[in-house]
Amino acid sequence: MAFKHIYFDEQLCNGCNECVEVCMCDVFAPNPEKGKPPLVMYPEECWFGGCCISHCPHGHEGAIKIITPFQMRGSFKRS
Amino acid sequence: MRELPIIDFETDVLIIGGGLAGCMAAIKAAEREGVRVILVDKSNTIRSGCAASGIDHTWAYIPPIHEKMGYSMDDMAEDHRVGTSYGFFRRDLFSLVAGTNYDRVQDLENFGIKFRYEDSPIPGGYRIVPQFHSVPTSFNFEGKPLKPTLTREAKNRGVEIINRVQMTDLITTDGGISGAVGVHTRTADIYFFRAKSVVLSTGRSNRLSRNPTGFDFNTRMPSPMCGDGTSMAIRAGLPVINIEFLTNILGLGPCGNYNPNYGDPRNTVQPAARIIDGKGNVIVPRTQFYDWEDLGKEKWTSDAGRKVWRGGRASLVKRHAAGDGPFYLDFSEATDAEIAYIEWSIKQEGKGTQFMRYFQGEEGADLRKNRQEYAGLWPREISGTAAKGLWVDKNLETEIRNLFAAGDEVGGLPWQASSGAFAQGWYAGEVAAKRASAQGNLPSVRKDTVYQRRQMCADMLDRSAGFHWKEVEIGVQNLMDFYCGDIRSEAMLRRGLERLEDAKVASMKAENPHELGRCLDVKSIIDNAELVLRSSLERRESRPGPLGFVRVDFPEQDDENWLVFLAIRKQPDGTFSFSKIPVDR
Repeated sequence: MAFKHIYFDEQLCNGCNECVEVCMCDVFAPNPEKGKPPLVMYPEECWFGGCCISHCPHGHEGAIKIITPFQMRGSFKRS
Repeated sequence: MRELPIIDFETDVLIIGGGLAGCMAAIKAAEREGVRVILVDKSNTIRSGCAASGIDHTWAYIPPIHEKMGYSMDDMAEDHRVGTSYGFFRRDLFSLVAGTNYDRVQDLENFGIKFRYEDSPIPGGYRIVPQFHSVPTSFNFEGKPLKPTLTREAKNRGVEIINRVQMTDLITTDGGISGAVGVHTRTADIYFFRAKSVVLSTGRSNRLSRNPTGFDFNTRMPSPMCGDGTSMAIRAGLPVINIEFLTNILGLGPCGNYNPNYGDPRNTVQPAARIIDGKGNVIVPRTQFYDWEDLGKEKWTSDAGRKVWRGGRASLVKRHAAGDGPFYLDFSEATDAEIAYIEWSIKQEGKGTQFMRYFQGEEGADLRKNRQEYAGLWPREISGTAAKGLWVDKNLETEIRNLFAAGDEVGGLPWQASSGAFAQGWYAGEVAAKRASAQGNLPSVRKDTVYQRRQMCADMLDRSAGFHWKEVEIGVQNLMDFYCGDIRSEAMLRRGLERLEDAKVASMKAENPHELGRCLDVKSIIDNAELVLRSSLERRESRPGPLGFVRVDFPEQDDENWLVFLAIRKQPDGTFSFSKIPVDR
């Protein structure tokens, strides 16, 4: 299974490619099919700055979701 | 063999690197009548550099507040020299940054950045916290929209912004700057610029060590910044100082691998949080919010203030070494208002928003209930933000005439960070524009470098097989961690240099322009790694954290000989030479 942590909501994403433009690590590429979510080309080059979400017109509604990889999780007291 | 297109540009001022410093330089330069300005960025200036996803603080000498406290610029300089720079201090750079950043804050307010709050008890309605100095000097503010805002302001002034071009070479003519070369990382076109003056502002040298998560690009500061400016400068014969201080940044960023970077004992959360060990003993107490009601009454004497403020990180390092871990950031005593303030602040800074999406959203955790651990895998980076960098004169000019540097590109004022970027960027833009105006025609320029770079890029794209860039990057990081890590010695460093030769000649294959950009990243990383190895070999002493420089064959700290800026430069014959530049006392 290929590593993946960035997910697009196909209903919310309008394929505007704003995230493709602003991602400082150049993680995405436009989808060849117009209006569709970008392709996550280089997930392992993500910095986790969340600029894609900040800049997405539907970011605050959840159009782009980052699921935190396991190795970056849990360095806190659960209770 | 393909022939990559060369696209030519002519400008008065060229700015290389469009982070905070580069954007400020572009804005100021373009305000000068009749000056053409081009700003080039390897990402997109809307979201690039250390402030890409936002920042929440910038420090300054704030006359209307600090004068009432009885806290002078000299007091602040001494705080910075002793407590923040650990002696590696340039007074001229400090005066420029501390003395003008309050003006820059006002410029930023005019651009629409929010600094003032009705509920603030602080004169002016600012939010100001102690962080880098013994009294509050850091503005807390809403810096999330900084980069889009500065991009807009630059465009409004006629700056031509060119994104996704990774700069690779500086070109000089008769000791002055005359041009620069870059590569577009989505088309592989070669960009050739002729300019009358240039500002170099590419930021930090990241990715010199393996990232402990195994998630290579999850560095503390943004991963695209991998020392391109240092690489260009050293190949142009310029001196770079203090690059040997590649060290563990113990004590930064609780929740370990996530690196939200808000848990430094001196960071903006400190008034609300304390650091405790596993048994609940308080290691670093909360500092107080300042008594803003009576500025005169609670004047922090320098000694008392420094004691509170400097204690944190050093004791954490020592306690860890003594086996006193684990350590936690603990908000259990914070009030609701303090928690709300901290959450607001975190969400302005860097990865803070994304961290909170994880911490609160994915985990359902709570700042007050769930102590955050300073977890075991510390990243390494060049210590002190800007201890390392180009040597410039008091006008930020390098030894190459009309080539200026600004922000984290500049060495000599550790932890200048956004303050250095705002203040020096603005100043560099002003002097670069002035210098360009004073010249008639563009300087003549030879294009050999352009053709060489085009050939190198075409080779990487065309060869049938070769190493993937990441293989070489990881190889270099591993050798840096082994030969130039916590244990450095002459023999180990020399062996590290030998092994780096393999990386230098490694034949990399790029499948597309994006990968070509990464291959060029790796070339910069190799250049920076060589400087770290060579400078580590030259510095024959050891220094405790946060610089954390250990030469096992020279275990003593030797201020008499080594409390100096160590400058390395490459001679025309390819050898390296060193000089010691005195620090300001």
